[in-house]
Amino acid sequence: MRRLFSNPSLAIGMIATLIFLAIGVLSLVWTPFPIEQIDISRRFLGITAEHWLGTDNLGRDMASLVMSGTWTSFLVAAIAVVIGMGVGVPLGLTAAAWGGPVEWQVLRLSDFLFAFPAVIVAILITALAGPGASNAIIAIGIFNIPVFARVARGGALSIATLDFVAAGRLAGLGNAMIAWRHLLPNIMSLLIVQGTIQMSLGILSEAGLSYIGLGTQPPATSLGLMLKDAQGLFLIHPWLTLVPGLAIVAIVIALNIAGDGLRDALDPRLRQGNPNVLA
Amino acid sequence: MSLLEVSGLSIRFGSTEVVSGMSFVIARGERFGIIGESGSGKTLTSLAIAGLLPDGAAMDGVITLDGTPLPRREREMAKLRGKRIGMVFQEPMTALNPLMRVRDQVGEAIRLNIEGGATHVEVPKLIEEVGLEPRHRERYPHQLSGGQRQRVMIAIALAGQPDLLIADEPTSALDLITQRKVLDLIAEICARRQMALLFISHDLKAVARLCTRVAVMHRGRLVESGEIGQVFSAPEQDYTQKLVAASRFEVRLQDRPPIGGTLLEVDGVTRDYRQNGFLFMAGRPLRAVDDVRFTIAQGECLALVGPSGCGKTTLAKIIVGLDRATSGSVRLGGVSYHGSDLPKALRRDISLVFQDPFGSFNPRLTIGDSLGEPLRLEPGLSAAELQARLVESVQAVGLHEDMLARYPHEFSGGQRQRLAIARALVTRPKLLVLDEPVSALDVSVRGEVLALLAKLQAEFGLTYLIISHDLDMVAAMADRVLVMEAGKIVEEGKPEQIFAAPQHRLTRDLVAARLPDID
Repeated sequence: MRRLFSNPSLAIGMIATLIFLAIGVLSLVWTPFPIEQIDISRRFLGITAEHWLGTDNLGRDMASLVMSGTWTSFLVAAIAVVIGMGVGVPLGLTAAAWGGPVEWQVLRLSDFLFAFPAVIVAILITALAGPGASNAIIAIGIFNIPVFARVARGGALSIATLDFVAAGRLAGLGNAMIAWRHLLPNIMSLLIVQGTIQMSLGILSEAGLSYIGLGTQPPATSLGLMLKDAQGLFLIHPWLTLVPGLAIVAIVIALNIAGDGLRDALDPRLRQGNPNVLA
Repeated sequence: MSLLEVSGLSIRFGSTEVVSGMSFVIARGERFGIIGESGSGKTLTSLAIAGLLPDGAAMDGVITLDGTPLPRREREMAKLRGKRIGMVFQEPMTALNPLMRVRDQVGEAIRLNIEGGATHVEVPKLIEEVGLEPRHRERYPHQLSGGQRQRVMIAIALAGQPDLLIADEPTSALDLITQRKVLDLIAEICARRQMALLFISHDLKAVARLCTRVAVMHRGRLVESGEIGQVFSAPEQDYTQKLVAASRFEVRLQDRPPIGGTLLEVDGVTRDYRQNGFLFMAGRPLRAVDDVRFTIAQGECLALVGPSGCGKTTLAKIIVGLDRATSGSVRLGGVSYHGSDLPKALRRDISLVFQDPFGSFNPRLTIGDSLGEPLRLEPGLSAAELQARLVESVQAVGLHEDMLARYPHEFSGGQRQRLAIARALVTRPKLLVLDEPVSALDVSVRGEVLALLAKLQAEFGLTYLIISHDLDMVAAMADRVLVMEAGKIVEEGKPEQIFAAPQHRLTRDLVAARLPDID
């Protein structure tokens, strides 16, 4: 644990991410104003004591919207990462442990999924089921599957050549047990790092999907949706665009810094400060 | 007048001192060896002399070349390297640029170090001097064998006509026959060029063959130094005595159960590997093991020797059930199998001990979990019986049962190899296949592990199949030796008989390449 926080970029990234997450969680129980409260009479207010970040074109409180939007972004990206890991990692491990035709099929499947960017999947789902946050989750989740499958397979392949995996096979372990006991625990750090990176990509994708109207729908809000609402007013009221835009940038940077820090902290090659490696 | 003088050399990483107070002198044209185990600081010492210490290393002490201290500035040091000091590294594949032809790499070294050097004259001369043929000049590193690559490295080191050649374990990545040739080449070049040599190795015999003076390092300190004959024949320090004794492989003949009937029979085993061809027109298959037949008797110790790539590890994998023979079969206790179809009931009768003690344990599992894994082959053991079996096997290899709760990284290489043997013993097997059981270990623990293997054989009546390229170890352990080349068994016999009167060309080469015993 001390090792984790001795890494400054990890500490900064983690703390910043946790602050945003806390703000998002807080929005579930309390926001300064209800986000769906429309009051045209108080629209386009600047920063005031009452409205910390002003109000938008419908008189909604910007601070409340940003809080709620942050939560939507985190939720969508996190569930999408869970979907990607839940399907992708078993696929990747299966490919590495069984090999041969199974591996070929998994690779072709992931090539197939890679061919559809999140936007295309979202358009497809929207055409079938209508727009909404849950559809954005599914679209980004599907996009995450091949990413995790590739990372899991790559990591597992390099572990699979080590002698302890052969020892496990000698002990009569089947492919599934090899994957569970020997491969998965040793690629965990890789997956955690990739998960952080996919989180930040997911937040960007969610913003993008909401911006083109395929993600979160009003009265719920997300940072991408706020951008979309504000874009027509950008020249007159740039503040309305800047607030959600900067919020997205800050969250993504925080997650990326945390991801880089995690990689440095978890990478066993960088971890052991063992001078004997040379001799 | 001495060429190189090192006095009070200390190297620190942060607060840990890895080399402390090293002092030695190398005269012109002298061949000086540094011996030590991994982690003893011998490589760092050589890097300090070449000014190539890694980032984060702090150096104290004075190194003088021809009476002038080595410059601290990298620019001046870079000029000195190459012109005055040549280096040959351990791993010839990574030390050469894979995208440059041999001719260009050697030529580059000449251009950088000799002003107005005519590369078209010098390169062929150097290539010839290191014993390569002219056609090798046009090749890329991957088109050369390990020994040829090391010769190219030597040619590059010689390009600047240095006064001192530093060779850091130049032969440890090579097989026995090539090793001997490269050592002979280095000796010959040093003699011809009147060049001083700093030779770093863990192999006492190689140092004895090459050097006139030697320094022994242990845990960053100089233990003993002096004339080679004196240090090796009458070592003064305890550590040196231990090292010299360990290099002799005197494995005692204990009371062993008599050799019984046939335990395992290998009958015409062949293994082909498909080579990648274009679409369905597969290339001609590569035959790794070719119609091999032999038997192992109960309680016997059979050794399989051969150069790297001769198929001995593939054969071992088929016997233990990790790979599948293309044709032919193996019979164990009357049951016939082809490799990976080895029935589960028989798996517990065969165990494998791996070569690399660092890769053979899952870093995320405790030793107890790893050791208990093979016991899945014996269903119906209660938790208490299981624990008893683990304790029994750990104690059999001379370790304490408390170690079961610890993780692999807490153990040294020798301890891990003992634990790997414990894991192999936990199912009480009849046959133990040992794939290079000591080649990844330090010299001083090799003897211990071999003695342990001999003791276990006497105690439990085990049968061993030892796979190795180390003839000294085989001579000490084996009852019978099989020599393998290109997938075929070319010679068979008792070790004394094979080493005294080798018949096959390969066996003769192997025996001739054996370095003379130190005395």
